[in-house]
Amino acid sequence: MDFLFSYIVLAEIYVLLGLSTNLLVGIVGIFSISQAAVFGVGAYIVAHFLMADLALSFIPSLAIAAAGCVALNVIVTLPSLRVSGDYFVVTSFGIQLLATAVFTNWTAGTGGANGLPGIPPPDVFGLPIETTGQYVLLCSAASALGCLAFWLIMGAPFGRLLRAIREDEIAVAAAGKNVLAAKVSAAALAGAFAGTAGGLYATFLSFIDPSSFDLDASILLLTMVVVGGARTLAGSIVGPFLLLALPQLLTLVDIPTTIAAAARQLLYGLLLIAFMLFRPQGLAGERL
Amino acid sequence: MLPLQLLVNGLVTGCALGVVAISFSLVYATTKIFHVAHAGVYTLAGYLAWSLSTHGVPSVLALLLAMAACTALGALIQTQLYARLERRHATHLVVLIASLGALAVMQNIIAAVYTPNILQFAVPWSSRMVAAGSIRLNYTQMLTIVLSLAAYAGTMLFAHRTILGKRIRAVAANPFLAEITRLEPRTVYVYVIAIASALVCLPGVLVPLDLGLQPYNGVTPLLTATIAMIAGGVGSISGAFVLSVAIAVVQNLSLLVIPGEWSIGVTFFIFVIFMLFRPTGLFAAR
Amino acid sequence: MTAYLQVDGLDHSFGGLRALNECSFTIEQGRITCLVGPNGAGKTTIFNVITGFLRPDEGSVTFRGRKLDGLRPQAIVHQGIARTFQNLRLFADLTALDNVLVGIAGQFGEEPLGAIFRPLHTARAQARRKQQALRTLEHVGLAARAADLVRNLSYGEQKLLTIARVLATGAELLLLDEPASGLSAGALDAVMALLRRLQADGKTLLVVEHNTRVVQQIADEVLFLHQGHLMAQGAPERIVSDPALAEIYFGGAI
Repeated sequence: MDFLFSYIVLAEIYVLLGLSTNLLVGIVGIFSISQAAVFGVGAYIVAHFLMADLALSFIPSLAIAAAGCVALNVIVTLPSLRVSGDYFVVTSFGIQLLATAVFTNWTAGTGGANGLPGIPPPDVFGLPIETTGQYVLLCSAASALGCLAFWLIMGAPFGRLLRAIREDEIAVAAAGKNVLAAKVSAAALAGAFAGTAGGLYATFLSFIDPSSFDLDASILLLTMVVVGGARTLAGSIVGPFLLLALPQLLTLVDIPTTIAAAARQLLYGLLLIAFMLFRPQGLAGERL
Repeated sequence: MLPLQLLVNGLVTGCALGVVAISFSLVYATTKIFHVAHAGVYTLAGYLAWSLSTHGVPSVLALLLAMAACTALGALIQTQLYARLERRHATHLVVLIASLGALAVMQNIIAAVYTPNILQFAVPWSSRMVAAGSIRLNYTQMLTIVLSLAAYAGTMLFAHRTILGKRIRAVAANPFLAEITRLEPRTVYVYVIAIASALVCLPGVLVPLDLGLQPYNGVTPLLTATIAMIAGGVGSISGAFVLSVAIAVVQNLSLLVIPGEWSIGVTFFIFVIFMLFRPTGLFAAR
Repeated sequence: MTAYLQVDGLDHSFGGLRALNECSFTIEQGRITCLVGPNGAGKTTIFNVITGFLRPDEGSVTFRGRKLDGLRPQAIVHQGIARTFQNLRLFADLTALDNVLVGIAGQFGEEPLGAIFRPLHTARAQARRKQQALRTLEHVGLAARAADLVRNLSYGEQKLLTIARVLATGAELLLLDEPASGLSAGALDAVMALLRRLQADGKTLLVVEHNTRVVQQIADEVLFLHQGHLMAQGAPERIVSDPALAEIYFGGAI
């Protein structure tokens, strides 16, 4: 039972990441390969504040992490999107590789390659969250709020504006709207989702290390959105739940542990190619 | 390490990087596709040469065979993946994601077959040292400089003097016009990726010959190469090569003050400067 | 007295091609001015310069005494100038109503914080804006098609929708790029009637048009452009009947 709860908790954390990635890649149409980096920043920030000498409790730490990730996304997207989409591709790769370098080498801040152990469990306004069952409740609430926010946005004028931008930016500018500001706002929101997911992840595992936030992790996030489906709430939920179940299915096939990780990443790559060629709308989304 | 030695090391790395940048730039300027899978071809080249070499195939032949294989692979990616996506009117984003998928497939097949550990070439002459004053270089490094410069010169000659080269430049300059004249852009795309894949074999083999093979080592050089391409001005072969050398030299010299793990930061910092102050690059082609 | 819209000495080249050559003219408020000239004369280039999509090599544009140099396209819309496109550029997968709504300025909920934290207010504000958009669609004669996707509208209806979208911005100077081209006789009459209605509403129109019948019927003044330069300016009958201009327009080599 605990195993099932663990799967649900992780899937729900990845739903938040799925919403974040979907906002950037699916809705605004920006190719982001640095989602895991932002996820990691959120995780490390929460871990830091929970374990600092003057420790903060969970919710304030989460707020700081979300704010930090918002700022990070704005700083990254604002100058690069002003130039072009391909510029952002390079920036995104750069941020991801840079983040991995920081996570792995800034031992003072992130524990370096050995990671940060002993992250305390969270508490919600004094109520401690310790059992896996309680975690399920916490993450269900968080992901539900995330889904609600996503749904509200897509139904609001902001959602319509983003859809119009994806179709024809020039026409949107000619209609008097600030395209760059809209894209950066979407990216900022994506940052908030990713940072929150990072905080939940750090406290759930109570140990984080750089390998969870590297380029391969970003590829997994992209695969979730591609398989689940772009631009829809359903796609953001289906993708994570399905992709997180895949490794379990893989264990049914006899793959030596030395190449298990490579086998997973190979599968993600194949899924990306297959879906782009044959089903760009994913299982439950709209055409990318 | 002496600054001069660092400078020379930077020149070596920069020359290799320059060929990566030129080959990537050829594809990008012509097809407008951000061909991240290029990093996979680069990686595969080294492993193929290593396999051949450890099975007794002489070095030059191993390199040529690896080139042939990579050329075929590049053409395959263009015809089976990119061309198909173009026929379905795929967006730029879709092609990028597919290219990333191809990269992941290539890297991880390599990791599964060869393990993720570092592999070394067993080619004795490659590590023989030569000293010139206080500077020391091994044969591989010298070969890298010579062959990379030759590749650069060859590419320039090809682009400006041969018919195919001019055809490629015409398609790159105006794909729409190329469509309605008889330049057949789609065929040109296959040629371009084939040539680029063959070119990138050179650093793909030479760099691991010196530093060892690792399945995931292709992304960072590719990223640096794209930054050099952008900073040099998209469409400028010379710009891409020169900026690659410049960036590699700056990166190496920075080792005097910054630990090696942060080199990516130096490269990225250079990129940010260009992005903020001169996004079109130094020698943007007209 | 400063002119309503003043274009001064515009020069622009694309590579080796001179698109605009010392182009200067003024537009008076409340009039329908038609911009005519052979293909390549620079008409769309002028639109792009006025609306901020292109920064000219030389020259400036002044609107109601305020220089527009260097302003971005969305800022120029806020100044009161909006344009349509020759190739429509509508949002094909959105409804007609949504296309108009995108143009309405100052709506609540067009950024994430308001949408998330004040959903009820957003919904109420949207209901009012939808009424506003519907009225705009009525004004151009498209109210019946409000809920239809743009890809399902006829060409004539799509052209009317482009005008509805610029109307939604509230701009007082409308730059219309070939609003009547490619239309059947009935749709053509509808567009011309609409343009006259807009003038009666107090809008000023600058219209690029190839159809001489349209020009003669609606224009108060005609600007004849050739090779990026203003060749002639005057009443439509005079311009249309000038043999030298006709030679340039129909027979002359460019």
